[in-house]
Amino acid sequence: MPFDNEKENESKRETEPEAAPSEAKGVLVLGGGIAGIQAALDLADARVKVHLVERGPSIGGRMSQLDKTFPTMDCSI
Amino acid sequence: MMDVGRHPNVELLTLSELVGLRGEPGDFVATVRRYPRYVDEDACVGCGDCEAVCPMVAPNVYEHGLGARKAVYRPFPQAVPPAYMIDRDVCLNEEAFLACSKCADACPRGAVDFDQRVRDVDVNVGAVIVATGFDEFDPRVMRNYGYGIYENVMTSLEFERLLSASGPTQGRVVRPTDRKPPRRIVFVQCVGARGEGGQHFCSRFCCMNAVKDAMLAKIHDPNVESMTILYTDLRAFGKGFDQFVQRSHEVDEIRYVRGRPAKIVGDGGGDLTVYAEDTLTGEQVKLDADLVVLSVAARPNETARALAETLGVELNRYGFFRKRDPDSFYLETTRDGIYLCGSAGGPQVIPDCVAQASGAAALAAKHVAACRVPDEVVEVEALDTSGDHRVGVFVCHCGANIAGLLDIQNLVEYARGLDGVVYAADELFACSDTSQRAVQDAILEHKLNRLVVAACTPRTHEPVFRKACEAVGLNAYLFEMVNIRDQCSWVHVGAPGAALARARDQISMAVARARRLEPLHMIDVPVERTALVVGGGVAGLQAALEIARQHFKTILVEKTNKLGGRLNKPSLTKLYPSGRDAEKLIREKIEQLEEAGVEILLNTEVARVDGFVGNFDVELADASGKKKGATKKARVGAIVLATGADLYEPKGEYGYGRHPNVITSLDLEQNFAANAGRALVDGKHPENVAFIQCVGSRCEGGNPGCSRYCCPTTIKQAMMLREHGANVTVFYKDIRTISDGAEEMYRAARGNGVLFVKIAEDDKAEVIGDKAAAAVEAYDVLLKSRVRARADLVVLSTGMVPREPDTTILQSIFKIPRGEDKFLMERHPELGPVETTTDGVFIVGCLQAPKDIADSLSQASAAAAKVARLLARDSVKLEPTVAEVNEELCRGCGQCVEICQFNAPELVQLAPDVYVSRINEALCKGCGTCAVWCPTGAVVARHFTDLQIHTMLETVLQGETDK
Repeated sequence: MPFDNEKENESKRETEPEAAPSEAKGVLVLGGGIAGIQAALDLADARVKVHLVERGPSIGGRMSQLDKTFPTMDCSI
Repeated sequence: MMDVGRHPNVELLTLSELVGLRGEPGDFVATVRRYPRYVDEDACVGCGDCEAVCPMVAPNVYEHGLGARKAVYRPFPQAVPPAYMIDRDVCLNEEAFLACSKCADACPRGAVDFDQRVRDVDVNVGAVIVATGFDEFDPRVMRNYGYGIYENVMTSLEFERLLSASGPTQGRVVRPTDRKPPRRIVFVQCVGARGEGGQHFCSRFCCMNAVKDAMLAKIHDPNVESMTILYTDLRAFGKGFDQFVQRSHEVDEIRYVRGRPAKIVGDGGGDLTVYAEDTLTGEQVKLDADLVVLSVAARPNETARALAETLGVELNRYGFFRKRDPDSFYLETTRDGIYLCGSAGGPQVIPDCVAQASGAAALAAKHVAACRVPDEVVEVEALDTSGDHRVGVFVCHCGANIAGLLDIQNLVEYARGLDGVVYAADELFACSDTSQRAVQDAILEHKLNRLVVAACTPRTHEPVFRKACEAVGLNAYLFEMVNIRDQCSWVHVGAPGAALARARDQISMAVARARRLEPLHMIDVPVERTALVVGGGVAGLQAALEIARQHFKTILVEKTNKLGGRLNKPSLTKLYPSGRDAEKLIREKIEQLEEAGVEILLNTEVARVDGFVGNFDVELADASGKKKGATKKARVGAIVLATGADLYEPKGEYGYGRHPNVITSLDLEQNFAANAGRALVDGKHPENVAFIQCVGSRCEGGNPGCSRYCCPTTIKQAMMLREHGANVTVFYKDIRTISDGAEEMYRAARGNGVLFVKIAEDDKAEVIGDKAAAAVEAYDVLLKSRVRARADLVVLSTGMVPREPDTTILQSIFKIPRGEDKFLMERHPELGPVETTTDGVFIVGCLQAPKDIADSLSQASAAAAKVARLLARDSVKLEPTVAEVNEELCRGCGQCVEICQFNAPELVQLAPDVYVSRINEALCKGCGTCAVWCPTGAVVARHFTDLQIHTMLETVLQGETDK
């Protein structure tokens, strides 16, 4: 999913990162497609904090664009 | 997808990317750059008022430019998060500084915020999972295919959007130039793969995707005249894939032609001509087409290089994330604490992708196993559901899936007139976040105490609505779902009137039933936080290791006196593609197991299992036959089965058993092991070796599907023989080199002079010779002549079949069904590859289906993640929809005990000669068999009571008499 706001003006960036949250250490998952979603769910259900990072405006990735999946022909959403 | 958006333990950072990572495994600090959405995610409810007033229009990227969207938009209706966003490149209120703020003015919640800025956020994490997927190959570089020149040449993903009922054409397959349905479609495979367009690897998913799309195109438009799939090898390698291809043969319009197009030419009016050589007949073919679909290959994600640099990991030669150990493990990058899954490491099909993702989760979890967060307890006050029935009915359009055929307004009006219904409405996508909110608002506003949703299948979406109900305090079991998509609009495409009548009947039945529903509550059972892994092959070792590394007590049992299964010499010497020593891998794993504290029991087998998820009582026994009775009893919460498969034993075919020089690939592997890697037969090194592929695979009497491991194994063995100068010929049907590095191995083998002879799907190679094999002969479909290869050694590349009697025993102990191929069946082929229908029992490795080492290890790691989900808590919640006994009516006849497959009912003596049946709720599956059987009507299947069912029948039959 191409990233519409990529060419953001550098000068607009606030340089100081916000303070790191002091809560329980989690896992960073990069990518919100079917693989990222599955990994995030398995971790979260095992009581692990997950930060799921997705470049586009919505998770779902390519599978959400498919009509159906083989071999079951189930709905992809 | 919806689940992850709502999960309390998931922080969703969209429009974000990783820009920095410091620290070490277990203690990383990641800097995430968050780009502005210009809409406050928390405030936006997705009402769409902003979109309605926005004056600017841009191509919709989600629809691959086939549709349009506004500058303020939501990528698709079910997007997560559901908030809108503003594309400032298109928005007037950007560089031009036009004071357009129509969207901000229109927003009732003041969510539009033009002042949002890019900001960096630091997060402290123990591990990182890379799941960034792939990009599509751009077919423009292959100018002879005409993509970008002729509008009616499109990519497979663009075609997928046309097929989708929620896509730009509402599922009508029309070609771009004249918006007419194409009658002749040509699918071109391997576009940008396997040597085309400069990429050498196989993209794995495209063959099956094209077959699926062709089948769907036929369903969408029964008038389609011809669909031709131009392929190279048909790589239907996964479980059930070959059978799926078989189904496509039943569609008369689908034709397979082996070949690649030389060129695709347009006539200026939209029609196309595809010129290709049919490499099976050797003839030039000229295919007239209305539409050409290019199955484009995957290429590395465009951000992969920058991300790899940020992460400090390496890429492979193609630019995918490099696997540390491509022989045996796909989930580790070249840096500790950073894991990999899905197509980021190379193209994957969905089932493998899902298994890898769960596997990566298990690996990552071990770094943070000590910091599990407490479960968030959200107390929602239960709604008062007493008093008159107040039923709410929602009818879902499902885009055009339902609304394309059924008159939704008619259904809403109809529902409104039914007894007990106080509110009825329609929703475009009832599963979307916005609609869910509308449903919840209606429950509260109209004081609904029963809810009916007429939409798609409860199999996937019932949990979504149940959660929505619970979140506002309506008991989840007061909700009823009607499937008017699969059961009405999909199956009765040709009869809209009848489909509508049926949908009305189904809704009336659902409303009647809803009025009889009673609130039920989940059953809480304690969990014994110990896992049992059965089978000490490489899959079992891996599963046990990753469970133990997450700090759960783990017991591993192995029937023989040695761990490692088939990876031990003499079964296997070297791993492909690297040629690394297989035993070394096992030695490493065993050391790690001991370090992780796994209790290893050799010469042990499972004798008996009682109990249920969280509470299995296991009796272990001596497998060597020396001791009698149980050697150990244990209570475990979860069980992983990893007992493997058998290799097919040839039953005399190809002279096996009669000719001393006809052996199996396993025999050859053992021969290599015994002779320092150089085959020795009758004291001589064989000079001419012939391999025969698919022996016991893709056939009756063996495995009906593909055994996956054999193609690369043969090529590895052929290369080892070739190194010492042997002439090697391989007789094959399709070469399916789909594992990492295998396609390259195949190319190298061809380059080294290994000969490949392609035979027809229904043909068989013939072994020639009296007392010993002297040659192998077959009709080469590419050379179009009979080919004879001299052979002083013939190697049968045998497939995998279920291991017996082990598989039958496990099937009966755990009640796991078997598939058509007789392997144990997973819960869902795509989304639940290691779970089974028995809660708490998981299957990994070749027990589930044939696979190679790396795929087995992905699955084994995945099972560890699933076990962790279960063992991370002291208790587990079970469905309350089980049977119960009215003890006053029960006369203790015991028929329910006899009939139950799951051992749930038990006779309890209340007084001398007075028995009643009691049901173990945790064992009961709620199948209802006992309720039907019970002669006194004492057993009731909760949520499916006689009263509920009778009411439905009365309603529909009453409707019939009224007509």
